Amino acid sequence: MPTTPTSPLRITSTGIEFSGSDHVPASPGHHAIDFSDIEAEMKAFEETERTRLGLIEETLDHWLDDNPQAFTAGQRSSTTILHGGLTFAQDMMIEAALTGMGYRMKAMAVPDNDALRVGKEFGNRGQCNPTYFTVGNLVKHLQHLRDVKGMATDDIIENHIFLTAGACGPCRFGTYATEYRKALRDAGFDGFRVMLFQQQGGLKQATGEAAGLDMTTMFFLSIIKGIVAGDVLNALGYRIRPYEVVPGAADAALTRCRDMICATLRERGSLLLTLLKCRRIMEAVEVDRLQPKPKVMIIGEFWAMTTEGEGNYKLQRFLEQEGAEVDIQLVTAWILYSIWEVRWDTSKRMKLRGVDAAGDGLEGVEPVHRVAMLRMADWVLRATFQVFANAMGLTDYHLPDMDELASTANEFYRNELRGGEGHMEVAKLIQSVEKKKSHMVVSVKPFGCMPSSGVSDGIQTLITRKYPEAIFCPIETSGDGEVNVHSRVQMFLFKARQKARAEFEASLSGKGLDLETARGRVDTYRRRGIYYPPHTAVGTGANMANAL
Amino acid sequence: MQEFSKEELQARLTGDELVIGVDVGSTTVKLVCVDPLTREILWSKYERHETRQANKVMEMLVTIGETFSNVQRDNIRMFITGSGAGPLAEPLGARFVQEVNAVTLSVEALHPDVGSVVELGGQDAKIIIFMENPTTGEKQAICSMNDKCASGTGATLDKCFIKVGMPQSAVTQVHFDAERLHKVAAKCGVFAETDVVNLIKAGIPSPEILCSLGDAIVTQNLSVLTRGNTLRSQVLLLGGPNTYLPFLREAWRIRIPETWDERGYDYPKDVPIEELIIVPDNAQYYAAYGAVIFGLDEPADVGRYAGLSGLKAFVDHGRKASLSAGSGPGLTADHRELTDFRALYAIPPFHPAVYEPGQKVQGYIGLDGGSTSSKAVLVDERGDILAKAYKLSEGNPIQDMKDLLASLKRHVTDQGAELEVLGFGATGYAADVLEESVGADVNIVETVAHMLSAVRFFGEVDVICDIGGQDIKVLFMQNGDIKNFRLSNQCSAGNGMLLQAMADQFGVDLKQYADVAFKAELSPVFSYGCAVFLDTDRVNFQKEGYSADELLAGLAMVLPKNVWQYVVQIPRMAELGTRYVLQGGTQYNLAAVKAQVDYIKDRVPGAEVFVHPHTGEAGAIGAAMETLRIVQRRGKSTFIGLDEAINIAFTTKNDDETTCHFCANNCSRTFIDTRTNDGRTSRYIAGFSCEKGTVESHDAMLDLVEQRKELKKKYVNLAEYESHLLFRSFHKPDPMPEDGTEIEDIRVKVNWLGQLKREPYRRAFRRSSEAAAARRAKLRIGIPRVLNIWTTAPLWRTYFESLGLAKRNIVFSDETDEEMWKQGAKYGSVDPCFPSKVVQSHFHNLFFKKHTDARKLDHIFFPSITHLPSFVEGAMGNTSCPIVSGSPCVNQASFIKEKDYFKERGIDYVFDAVNLLEPTLLRQQMFAMWSERLGITEDENDFAMAQAWEAMRQVDAELERRGMEVLEQVEADDRIALVLLCRPYHLDQGLNHGLLEEFQALGYPVISIRSIPKDKAWLSRWFGSEADTGMSPLDIRDVWPENYSTNSVQKVWAAKFAARHPNVAVLDLSSFKCGHDSPTYGLIDTIIKAGKTPYMALHDIDANKPSGSMKIRVKTFGHTLKRVEEELQDRAARMDELERRITERRRELMHQYRAQQLEEALADPRKRQALEEMDAAFETYLAEDEHILGIRLSETSHEGQHLISLRDDIRPSEPEITVLDLSGRRLAAAENR
Repeated sequence: MPTTPTSPLRITSTGIEFSGSDHVPASPGHHAIDFSDIEAEMKAFEETERTRLGLIEETLDHWLDDNPQAFTAGQRSSTTILHGGLTFAQDMMIEAALTGMGYRMKAMAVPDNDALRVGKEFGNRGQCNPTYFTVGNLVKHLQHLRDVKGMATDDIIENHIFLTAGACGPCRFGTYATEYRKALRDAGFDGFRVMLFQQQGGLKQATGEAAGLDMTTMFFLSIIKGIVAGDVLNALGYRIRPYEVVPGAADAALTRCRDMICATLRERGSLLLTLLKCRRIMEAVEVDRLQPKPKVMIIGEFWAMTTEGEGNYKLQRFLEQEGAEVDIQLVTAWILYSIWEVRWDTSKRMKLRGVDAAGDGLEGVEPVHRVAMLRMADWVLRATFQVFANAMGLTDYHLPDMDELASTANEFYRNELRGGEGHMEVAKLIQSVEKKKSHMVVSVKPFGCMPSSGVSDGIQTLITRKYPEAIFCPIETSGDGEVNVHSRVQMFLFKARQKARAEFEASLSGKGLDLETARGRVDTYRRRGIYYPPHTAVGTGANMANAL
Repeated sequence: MQEFSKEELQARLTGDELVIGVDVGSTTVKLVCVDPLTREILWSKYERHETRQANKVMEMLVTIGETFSNVQRDNIRMFITGSGAGPLAEPLGARFVQEVNAVTLSVEALHPDVGSVVELGGQDAKIIIFMENPTTGEKQAICSMNDKCASGTGATLDKCFIKVGMPQSAVTQVHFDAERLHKVAAKCGVFAETDVVNLIKAGIPSPEILCSLGDAIVTQNLSVLTRGNTLRSQVLLLGGPNTYLPFLREAWRIRIPETWDERGYDYPKDVPIEELIIVPDNAQYYAAYGAVIFGLDEPADVGRYAGLSGLKAFVDHGRKASLSAGSGPGLTADHRELTDFRALYAIPPFHPAVYEPGQKVQGYIGLDGGSTSSKAVLVDERGDILAKAYKLSEGNPIQDMKDLLASLKRHVTDQGAELEVLGFGATGYAADVLEESVGADVNIVETVAHMLSAVRFFGEVDVICDIGGQDIKVLFMQNGDIKNFRLSNQCSAGNGMLLQAMADQFGVDLKQYADVAFKAELSPVFSYGCAVFLDTDRVNFQKEGYSADELLAGLAMVLPKNVWQYVVQIPRMAELGTRYVLQGGTQYNLAAVKAQVDYIKDRVPGAEVFVHPHTGEAGAIGAAMETLRIVQRRGKSTFIGLDEAINIAFTTKNDDETTCHFCANNCSRTFIDTRTNDGRTSRYIAGFSCEKGTVESHDAMLDLVEQRKELKKKYVNLAEYESHLLFRSFHKPDPMPEDGTEIEDIRVKVNWLGQLKREPYRRAFRRSSEAAAARRAKLRIGIPRVLNIWTTAPLWRTYFESLGLAKRNIVFSDETDEEMWKQGAKYGSVDPCFPSKVVQSHFHNLFFKKHTDARKLDHIFFPSITHLPSFVEGAMGNTSCPIVSGSPCVNQASFIKEKDYFKERGIDYVFDAVNLLEPTLLRQQMFAMWSERLGITEDENDFAMAQAWEAMRQVDAELERRGMEVLEQVEADDRIALVLLCRPYHLDQGLNHGLLEEFQALGYPVISIRSIPKDKAWLSRWFGSEADTGMSPLDIRDVWPENYSTNSVQKVWAAKFAARHPNVAVLDLSSFKCGHDSPTYGLIDTIIKAGKTPYMALHDIDANKPSGSMKIRVKTFGHTLKRVEEELQDRAARMDELERRITERRRELMHQYRAQQLEEALADPRKRQALEEMDAAFETYLAEDEHILGIRLSETSHEGQHLISLRDDIRPSEPEITVLDLSGRRLAAAENR
């Protein structure tokens, strides 16, 4: 039983028409449809239907991190390289040293609480403070260029890069670059280049055209020079300032020296000669070391103990104001630790019955050669330090022996565990007591710092049990709660002060002297800023008394 | 302290010098006047300063000046301490003394025999333990203070008093009852508050809640603040809370001796406990007195009192000048801006409906049992609001409901009208109990209720932000429904409450908050984050000299930062849309609204911000709207009726009988039994921590188990399966080669240049002695089931089994549960993430449960795993988290520092470092650790390691096979599977709070990262775009170049996978304080968002289980998942529809084509003739009787009947052939024949 067709549509040469009739009349001259028309119509029909049914295939644009890295030699003259994160003196000296090599360098200001706030706004939740402070500092700097200096965002992105250290675990430090890019994107600086100066692997950057950063030996040595000179100057400053006779004299001398060193590095003059000139400036600061000031060693997480700003509540200055002499850890020691890590790892694997490809496996490595080179690097660094130190008058200063620290720590904090807390916290605390290095140890850690507050603090409770005489004050920094932290430090400092006073008095009475007589015996030589009495007791005052 | 007259006081002063000790705390000022010669306190006083510290000190000094008018100013010395002392020291000429120092000195002077001091302050807790140095005999004070997270001790108590609704006077009458305790997390003030709210909602009586809180604070301090040290007797309890709260003192007096007994500390048992744990009188003056003691030791010129003029100058001018330059602006720039703002945003007053006497009013009621208050609304059939009722929760949801309903009823009956309630719906914490007891028509999750309410008033909106007392909820909308949501985690909770508590603290009525805050011309800049941290900031700012109005303004301004930067974490807000609705009780506070509006408008161009006109009742309105819809659709209500509900009788029972004994947790449950007038009863059970708590009898329990089993089969949970498989002995090792079997080995040689050469050579396999093997067979090794053991357990088990250790002698600690945590959480010296803190409890479990006299453990093995292998390719490193790898060392320290728990039991602790990334190195590390302990040869070690790796391979293969099955199945069924993004140890039920089970119960299978198939060919379906660029589907460098942490890297990869697979949703778990996860938060969020994958994150898992907020999350996510699954199914149906339509259309077109062909043919006589001829031929062909299958039809006519019926059975469906009928020019379809 034949039926009529049901479609109200008909095909015309121009497409589809709605006829509303059952029939499809074929008028004379009408264009005959063919299969290609049908296929075209089917395509259009499917599209219409998909739209009607909401079945349009959406192409998902999966997220990619562009990680812009291109920095070429051609861009060098127009590109400002931002950096920062060490002490102010070191940041300035690195700026000067690399400027001397033809780079446009700019050391950023020491991160403050505003940087922390910016970091928190644009960073991930739950990060540690050094992340917030440093990430926020970069964003804050760029915002300043944009909002205050009126620079166009595109110009900022095109003409600046940020150079920072990278790492490969174990703590969050290794992911700072991720964090920098996230914050930059979210703050409107998408495309800004963050270059990693790998702690152990050179610079990560696009190749092709000559690279913008030329990683020659000279480049590294320039940075090392800046770091070591900064370390020596800082160490000297912390020795002199607490005992200066004229308030402010030490800082004025330090500023002069810093400027002179920077100028020399910038102009590529003779650094040694400048350091010798600095020695005379520092020497001229008059000191009275016959004071029972408690010596406080600052250890802890690298950034938190190194920064001199709000990142650790200006701890160094605070301690000095409270009458302490501060013993800081040098950045050079940190580099020595990095060298030790690779040397130790290589040595551990040299005699294995096979080589592993992954991790620190020695596939493709000539281990004997590598170890020799690392020993050499260690020696060169120490030698540079000693030369600079001797030139500037930082006498009787000993960089730590990393193997010794390793063996001291290992019983409590296995050497394979990295981050440096075994060496620089656990072993340092033990040595502080055993070698009479300080009256008190402040261990600074950012709130939630994994290796420092999550591991080393736990182990330090055992160390303080073993060495009950240690005055150990661990503090957590978070940007806020300054009152609490300062209170805590003061509390421990009270005991340390008593200890220092008792030791000082014992030294004086050991010598059969009272303070007045002792003062009278201090000659001009011993009033020079760079004079530092030999280490016989913990405190400088006691050492001074013993030296009389 | 005895009161003396002015004359008597003057007479008591032995010399002409006076020393004043001042303690400026966060809420009070304490002053003491001491005679320096006798060290006697002559005069003392403390008063609340209401943030006007300087004025209060001045006022009190005036009194002292009058009292000791006989003392010359030059003869007065002053020492000042306390958190607010800093800025006052200099104007007064006083010397600042650190507070703990002052307290310690006071204690040493007044209580020379004391062994330890516990001081709970408003903000912090301190423990001082006096230890004798064994070498010098010198007494040394070990001090520890709480870290930031556990601060706010006194402040937390204060806030909880407000929550439970007990005034200060009643609180001091509460005594400790150790029998009736409930779970409260005191690790953090906000967590504690959350738990307290839950207890209130579960109907627990207030005194029990306070005792539970007190006990939790005590236990927390004993386990964490002591840093694993044991308090020494006598213990001195100091600080406000210890002084004023009997229940707290009593808790200390129970818990401290318990730790003494546990740790074998010898204390005089014959001395009454009140004399061992002392609360001294006048302890509030210890800090002030200690400051004086300190001062007496200072040179005579230190602390010379400078008189009041300096202080007066400071009060008049110095304060603002001294405020840090970093202070921010006030809330409004000028009066006009404020007036405009008020005109625009002040919530219009609500006018309840007016009725005629005798009028019959019909309506629907929605009730929201919120965290701190309960609200109800009455709406008419159109949804218009007739009346509202509000009350602060009194701690019992049934009573709250009765009061609210009665209030709504009164609103109608007071006007002489009559109320008929057509339906009743509930949301919020109280919804479950109301559904059970009064037959609520609707029980919806708060988020959905808020959404319904906002949509009702504002139509299409983009973002709804609800800030209640405890939670912040932000809903992102699409097509009128929730597309995604963010909830405050525990760390950002309690913001609304903080505003209230802060106002209380300053004596400002909450309603006046905005008026006070708008007065401020500047404001302190709070760092945003948790409420406890904010409170710490507040103390700091108070110390700097900020006034109440400025502090309140600053606090209002931090609220949007907390919402948008901390909870929502989307810095580019404009992406969210332009229409924002603000609701929740906090919006009554116009200061908070102003801050929010400014913040949003600053960042979103063209933003429209609306404040809900019934901001506090949004949840109740949503519940009412849903009730209206449901009842009208269903045609009837299940509600028992208004009067029945108002008159419902109820009893709350919480005793031994109601305790759940189905597991060791022994949850203290509350039974709320209700009885209506007509005798209908119902029981609601609250206070349990798992499903077991929902049943009362053994049979009911069995039913429940049955149901769970069914569920397990239906919706497989591979995360759970993985957690079982990992710790089982499933791999049978190959037999150990015989001694002397030839094997290949490598020899390392050094040549004359010092270079190393490795030479292969063949030699005989060496086996250890039979005696050694026999000894091994008996050894028992305990392994804590924690951290990366959750990845590597099969490796260690198989290693030991291959060496001949008995299966049963490889003993893993039990899976984490609350009881285990509680028992073992006393040794910790650090406070990192929960997964690493819980390790101590697993050691406790091994020491006290797995190691018995009959079955001793010989070793506890907990390797420091530094590196882990990963399936992800091209990662720049594969390290463990430093806390995880360091945990074995930390636990060594914890368990040997006071006494050696290992040595005591003869257990050898083996915890050296291992690197699983380098198999050769690992072999050597294992041999170094175990060669002597097990008496094995290096060959046996190598063999066992090879077996161990094979076991690891098998686990991976098995899990991936199961994972593929699940994924293929959900794809075929258009359903959703949950991919669990977490670190391996989150598979531990005790660490994931049983969250997975809840989703399984909702009908979603769960797959773990390990069970996602890693076969590249299979993955290429989802990673097509990567394949185009030549990148491996297992590489993540395109999204994360700085990828070195194995577990994080695997999480990010799984996020990439989830973003590409259309049938998965993501559940992302992270522990509170997880330092390796935090850099991936933004990353994973962005990846998942780009893939439009349903996503729920819980980023702050900790020891406590925030059941209330978890429930909201699960329910809200369940709402989203259901929608997505419906979409998938809907899409599948639409795809079918599309295919059908396409087939039809093609047929139509083909018909037309053929019709047209025919028409053309008909128009051409020659063609027509040819067609007619061919038609005729076709007809002839059809008519001919031919052989078909060798038979002619005509020949079978006698069997035809049978054949036809047979053919009917087997006849295929009719082919869809269309035949053209030439003569009629019509088309005939076969199906119409």
